[in-house]
Amino acid sequence: MFNTYVVTFIFMRTGVPLWMAILGGVLSAIGFGLLIDLLVIRHTKKVSPVAKQIITLGLIMVVLGVTPLFFGVDPLNLPRLIQSGNMTIFGANISYNGLFNIIFGLVVMLILFFVLQKTKVGLAVRTTASNEYTARLMGVPTKTVTMGAWAVAGVLGVLAGVMIAPTTTVTLNLMDVVQINALIACVLGGFQTFYGPVLGAYIIGVSRNLLLVYYSSEWGGQVLYILILLLLVVRPYGLIGKKVVKKV
Amino acid sequence: MLSENEVLRIENLSIQFGGLKAVDNLNFEIKQNEIFGLIGPNGAGKTTVFNCITQFYKPNQGSIYFRTKDGQVENLVKHKVHEIIRLGLVRTFQNVELVRELSILDNVLIGAHIDFKSTIVEQALRLPRARNEEKALREEAEMILRKLGIWERKDMIAFGQPYGILKKVEFARTLMCRPSLIILDEPAAGLNDVETAQLSEMIRTIRDEFNCSVLLVEHDMRLVMDVCDRICAISFGKFLAKGTPKEIQTNPVVQQAYLGTTEEDEHE
Amino acid sequence: MSHKEKKTSEKNFRTYIRNPYLQFIAFGLILLIVPTLASNFRFFKVGYITTIGVSLIYAIAALGLNVLLGWSGLISLGTAGFMGLASYLSAYITINMGLPFEVAMFAAVLIPTIIGILVGLISLKIEGLYLAIATLAVSEVLRKSFEEFEWLTNGFSGKAASYPTLFGFIQLDRASMYYFIVFVLIIVMLITYNIVNGQIGRALNAMRGSEAAAQAMGVNLLRYRLIAFAMATIFAAVSGVLYVHFIRYSYPSSWSLKLSLDFLAMIVIGGLRSIYGTVLGAFIVFAVPDMFLKQIPYFNQISYSLNGLLIILVIMFYPNGLVYIFKDIRNVWRKVIGKGKVKHVVRK
Repeated sequence: MFNTYVVTFIFMRTGVPLWMAILGGVLSAIGFGLLIDLLVIRHTKKVSPVAKQIITLGLIMVVLGVTPLFFGVDPLNLPRLIQSGNMTIFGANISYNGLFNIIFGLVVMLILFFVLQKTKVGLAVRTTASNEYTARLMGVPTKTVTMGAWAVAGVLGVLAGVMIAPTTTVTLNLMDVVQINALIACVLGGFQTFYGPVLGAYIIGVSRNLLLVYYSSEWGGQVLYILILLLLVVRPYGLIGKKVVKKV
Repeated sequence: MLSENEVLRIENLSIQFGGLKAVDNLNFEIKQNEIFGLIGPNGAGKTTVFNCITQFYKPNQGSIYFRTKDGQVENLVKHKVHEIIRLGLVRTFQNVELVRELSILDNVLIGAHIDFKSTIVEQALRLPRARNEEKALREEAEMILRKLGIWERKDMIAFGQPYGILKKVEFARTLMCRPSLIILDEPAAGLNDVETAQLSEMIRTIRDEFNCSVLLVEHDMRLVMDVCDRICAISFGKFLAKGTPKEIQTNPVVQQAYLGTTEEDEHE
Repeated sequence: MSHKEKKTSEKNFRTYIRNPYLQFIAFGLILLIVPTLASNFRFFKVGYITTIGVSLIYAIAALGLNVLLGWSGLISLGTAGFMGLASYLSAYITINMGLPFEVAMFAAVLIPTIIGILVGLISLKIEGLYLAIATLAVSEVLRKSFEEFEWLTNGFSGKAASYPTLFGFIQLDRASMYYFIVFVLIIVMLITYNIVNGQIGRALNAMRGSEAAAQAMGVNLLRYRLIAFAMATIFAAVSGVLYVHFIRYSYPSSWSLKLSLDFLAMIVIGGLRSIYGTVLGAFIVFAVPDMFLKQIPYFNQISYSLNGLLIILVIMFYPNGLVYIFKDIRNVWRKVIGKGKVKHVVRK
């Protein structure tokens, strides 16, 4: 959210083309992620997972409070990357921009999958995630991996923000809906695989709109929640998740 | 079913995971006040056997007859995992499973869980029955800790205690419910020679003083040969041999399974 | 007195002070006196009674969450939903149905608890983050219901209630309502203390520490999960009833994910598995920003950030909860008096 503001700021104040402003935002996001890792995450090795969640909550509060100091409280507007033009697929209207978003999203996913699964860097990330101590013993530079992970997270965040922003305005609450739905997508798709949450995200996005339009514009969102709840009862580890059995 | 002097009898016990038969048609029986050993090379299925006995796994086939504290005979397969202790059968865990944040005394008191009869309301308001129960069971727990020589540590937090002490605490916990059969899951794991010898002593003491039987699942041959009255050896889930320590030691089938050779082979 | 007599009377005094029940009562007395004391100091605004009162109300709900998460290891993001449901039910029963406060309290606690127990049933199959999302789903459905079921809740306009009338004739006002809140809080603290230090508490701890060991020791996981969820929901519901009769209004927007997360923050910051810590956490997350941070002139703008910063700092330095700061203070005090070795006490 913060970095989406950065992008908008750069775009509006300096008049450079949008893609360059986005690049600026990406750089800022990298710096931001690194900063968070260095200042906060490094010092929180000993805390429980729940406590870590609370720390991220605290971070959100800090950023939420600080952003208006930099960018003011009025909502800003960020235009789409592809300004106008629609096309028709299977009888449905879709803007070029929307199409671009979908394709771009898929491309980013594929790149991530490839890096994580097929490259040495990806292996380093996965080992660190699995067991940091052992990874370090095996010579994996875990500190760098963690820094890199936060930087990448920041970049993905700003990209998501830039894609969402044109549909509403750039405000403090820009990413609220995205965050919750992202979490739910992970739960839906299961944490065990990489493609699970992606699948979950697409399912949620599509179902939500379908329900809102065809079923009820008020209850659509909650019906989705209920459906997910029922799904969890049937498949407690998400659509694709697998249970990790503890050896007794 | 069960003869007079038997406390546990396994009949035709089988369980499979997917295509793999982890335990295949196993039979043995444990007599009253006996210290019985279950041995086998790595992967033989010892842990699976006793997870089946304690109902952490449900066997696909077979019966497990047990003489309860009240003298009844029950087929354990018909019971849920948390009901087993009520019948008088307790187990220890290889990775000592204590609650790290609680004191040693509190951990032992968990073993008395089924002995508490007071209701939620009585406990919430600390009515006399709850208070008296707590006091009586606390005293019993302290007595057991004294017997095992660790009473001084009763108020210390379990986290950070030496491994040997934690194992004793687990022992103490199993004794709280006055079981008729205790299953020990690799109790010698991680202990040195001195500690293992002490363990032998402790197992014998427990059997004598608490009048129970012991099923010992173990790798450490010295401990097994030293302390067990009878032993059953298995390999790849199948029965190999059953008898006294001496008989097992000289049994060629057992040697074959462990070492891949027999004495005869060696002489050639 | 002779030396021996002096030592014994000192020891008796110390046993008195150490008695946890007397400590809780003393704590309650201190809380009762706070408003009257503070009104003598100029900086203490009258509105602060409301802030402190609400903090105490939140502490009750947070205590329920602590039983669920801290002691039983089960996570719920649904606390706000249940609290809201209870608030609306109590308001409706007292205002629309005209029934006495006691009836409202009973029904407003019973109904959410039934739902809470149903959620507990689900918890057998679902765990961890998945359970968190499931509880969030329940809470969100409830919140939407608050917006839509206008016959019960008045929708977005909010539902009004009034100060309660106890036993049909004792009409409370703001000050006496505050005393009532303190009273309820101390009772809740006492009950929690009794339960978590007895057999049920040990069973909950065992369930959290090792499900396998708990089952081997005869703990019926389903039963104790339900107990945990029931307690958490009951406390949240009581808290909701107190809230609507103290603030005298309930809006759907209050009962959001943010509030559930605030409760989570309260118990983590204050101290998981700590009763006093929960109250401390409620103060830090709710009262401190309201009362102190907003005072410092320039800081008003960034009070939200400062609150977040406070949360981060507390967890970084006191990952087990700020309540342990008292242990540090005690150790420093001992060193200062020169009592010698520092004592390591079992944290109850």
